[in-house]
Amino acid sequence: MALKDCYNFNDFRNLAKKKLPSPIFHYIDGGADDETTLKRNTEAFNQCDLVPNILANVGKPDLSTTIFGKKIDMPIFLSPCAMQRLYHHDGDKASARAAEKFGTFYSMSTMANNTIEEISNISGGPKLFQLYVHKDQSITDDLIDRCKRSGFNGMCLTVDTLVAGNRERDHRTGFTTPPKLTLQSLMSFASHPSWVFNYLTHGKFKLANVASKTDKGTNIAKSVIEYINEQYDPSMNWKDAEYCVKKWNGPFALKGVMSVDDAKRAIDIGCTAIMISNHGGRQLDGSRSPFDQIKAISDAVGDKLEIILDGGVRRGTHVLKALAAGAKACSFGKIFLFSLAAGGQQGVEHLLRNMHDEINRNMVLMGCKNLKELNSSKLIYRN
Amino acid sequence: MNLKDCHNFSDFRKLAQKRLPSPIFHYIDGAADDEVTYARNTSAFDDVDLVPNVLRGVEEVDLSTTIFGKKLDLPFYLSPTALQRLFHYDGERAVGKAAKKFNTMFGVSALATVSVEEISSMIDTPKMFQFYFHKDRGLNDSCLERAKAANFDVMALTVDTITGGNRERDLRTGFTSPPKLTLASLYSFATKPMWGINYLTKGKFELPHLQDFVKEGTDVNSSIGNYFSTMLDQSMNWKDAENLCSKWGGHFALKGIMSVEDAKRAVDIGCTGIMVSNHGGRQLDGSRAPFDQLAEIVDAVGDKLDVICEGGIHRGTHMLKALSLGAKACSGGRLYLYALAAGGQAGVERALEKYKAELVRDMKLMGCTKISDLNRSNLRFRK
Repeated sequence: MALKDCYNFNDFRNLAKKKLPSPIFHYIDGGADDETTLKRNTEAFNQCDLVPNILANVGKPDLSTTIFGKKIDMPIFLSPCAMQRLYHHDGDKASARAAEKFGTFYSMSTMANNTIEEISNISGGPKLFQLYVHKDQSITDDLIDRCKRSGFNGMCLTVDTLVAGNRERDHRTGFTTPPKLTLQSLMSFASHPSWVFNYLTHGKFKLANVASKTDKGTNIAKSVIEYINEQYDPSMNWKDAEYCVKKWNGPFALKGVMSVDDAKRAIDIGCTAIMISNHGGRQLDGSRSPFDQIKAISDAVGDKLEIILDGGVRRGTHVLKALAAGAKACSFGKIFLFSLAAGGQQGVEHLLRNMHDEINRNMVLMGCKNLKELNSSKLIYRN
Repeated sequence: MNLKDCHNFSDFRKLAQKRLPSPIFHYIDGAADDEVTYARNTSAFDDVDLVPNVLRGVEEVDLSTTIFGKKLDLPFYLSPTALQRLFHYDGERAVGKAAKKFNTMFGVSALATVSVEEISSMIDTPKMFQFYFHKDRGLNDSCLERAKAANFDVMALTVDTITGGNRERDLRTGFTSPPKLTLASLYSFATKPMWGINYLTKGKFELPHLQDFVKEGTDVNSSIGNYFSTMLDQSMNWKDAENLCSKWGGHFALKGIMSVEDAKRAVDIGCTGIMVSNHGGRQLDGSRAPFDQLAEIVDAVGDKLDVICEGGIHRGTHMLKALSLGAKACSGGRLYLYALAAGGQAGVERALEKYKAELVRDMKLMGCTKISDLNRSNLRFRK
């Protein structure tokens, strides 16, 4: 199996599974507890149907949309994801270059392995930074200042990780601290020698953006879970979020909003966008899926801020449904990380091309000339 | 397994799978993207239940219905489907003769492998020609004129193939252009020698309605998706449909209508019928199922033109449900294509016999003696 055989989510996932040591694959692939929410995130799209219009003379549909003050060429972008160096030795550089090529946002996680400055030097494309509020406020301030200096376009504050979710696959595979090198995980690393070789020969793994402030997380043996629980401030509240909005003073989103009430409060503190997300089903299992919740949120606040749907998106038609329900754009993590693992920058480009072609084809089949024409009249919910 | 062991849709499907090289089987069997819509087309029927009436005296059941001014002995007909000689060497000849025997409508595709003239000389029962709007206007005119000269009763313009659907099974099996003769597909052709011998010895494979105009498509190796995307006129609009309708000057239908709004416009431009259809789930995945959408459309236009429910029908009871909602007739492609592959004319006849027997039995069990006895009081929707 090669990159050219990858047509959809499952193909990228299968190829990533072949290339990655299993603890790392399962860190991407897994969700919290029983992974009920992880499954629902995608299944939710099948509870409603698109209704196409015919004879519409669509021509070449316009797929562009504007988020965080930037016009992008298609209504999808790469969600911020931690530690991309684990999935491919080019890590964030590969993702940022691929996103720029397709005229859309690359997003950088606080826990990226490249610095804000490094990425800003290699990519002139639209960039979003994902922020965690640290217990040590100087870390948070430093991140915001550096993003501003480096020309990032938007900032999003993750609000659904006050405490780390229960990712049981990680317990089992030993993607935890201290690393439980079970016989199985040792075998898995040993049987993926090219991953290990690239990992060891392409520069040291570190959480580049916070490395100067803390030595936590600079060792792969430190689990993400522990980092989250040690470094992030669980007392974070609306005041803290408002502080970040003011300090950033530009397009700002809360990432992980799920309730209508919270969406309204996001407007009050000055957010220009929200990302409806349950962290890809990796935090609170049994929580509602973004697509199930989007209509209520869009009805309440859709005219006052940009709604981004994050979670469960695997197909062009999923994007169309989200937009018809009120999203301005969709973002995704898993499918993009699989494509990164499958083929680095080329893999991500292959994915973005597939998604672009799917969205384009489906817009034509829907009889829609531009994304504005995708409104609630094109969507029927089953009982 | 043999023809006499085929009692229902899935039996014919299994036998077809045994007889056909796998790329050809999967071309029939597959659909777009994740095949969600394809599955829903059939499962939609299970969300509603039939409510029978008893003690009605049902020894004689009349299954006849009148569509497009023609009386058919059955309330369903054979949808136009492309490339039938790939499925059995007799192709349209087999299907046409079977349709004649049961006095139902035979739909002939623009991509048929037997000419309208030959079919017309062979059967005098009702015939529908399915038309694609090509960029080449000379080809369009030629199709209309030949169908008219050959005494076809109905012209159906397909409107849901403005671009090719994403049929991933075809991408994998190599049912595409240029032919990807993978090891697996070579093996598959080699292990079905009867198909190969018949294909090579029973006359040249042709697309008689296109071949004077184009090279594409007359070679079996050219993919259908490619044909849709490159040869059909994507700028096709309501004016074009109206012109074709008046040029034809007889019974005219739009095939692939899904929205109420479009159904109303079909009335305005002079159509006498519409097929509520999503092309068997082969075009826009995630789009609504015909049965889910039927009631709304019948309510809006059912008194002004013939509404046909096309797609997902596997059983006599599915037809009863659609007819109860107000469809004038049902139609299907896979409904008879598996049977064609399984046994040529004898196969299609056996399938029609089975569906007819089911309809007669189910009508009696419902307490109905004629199609017009079926109405919505027979149905209860589950919530």
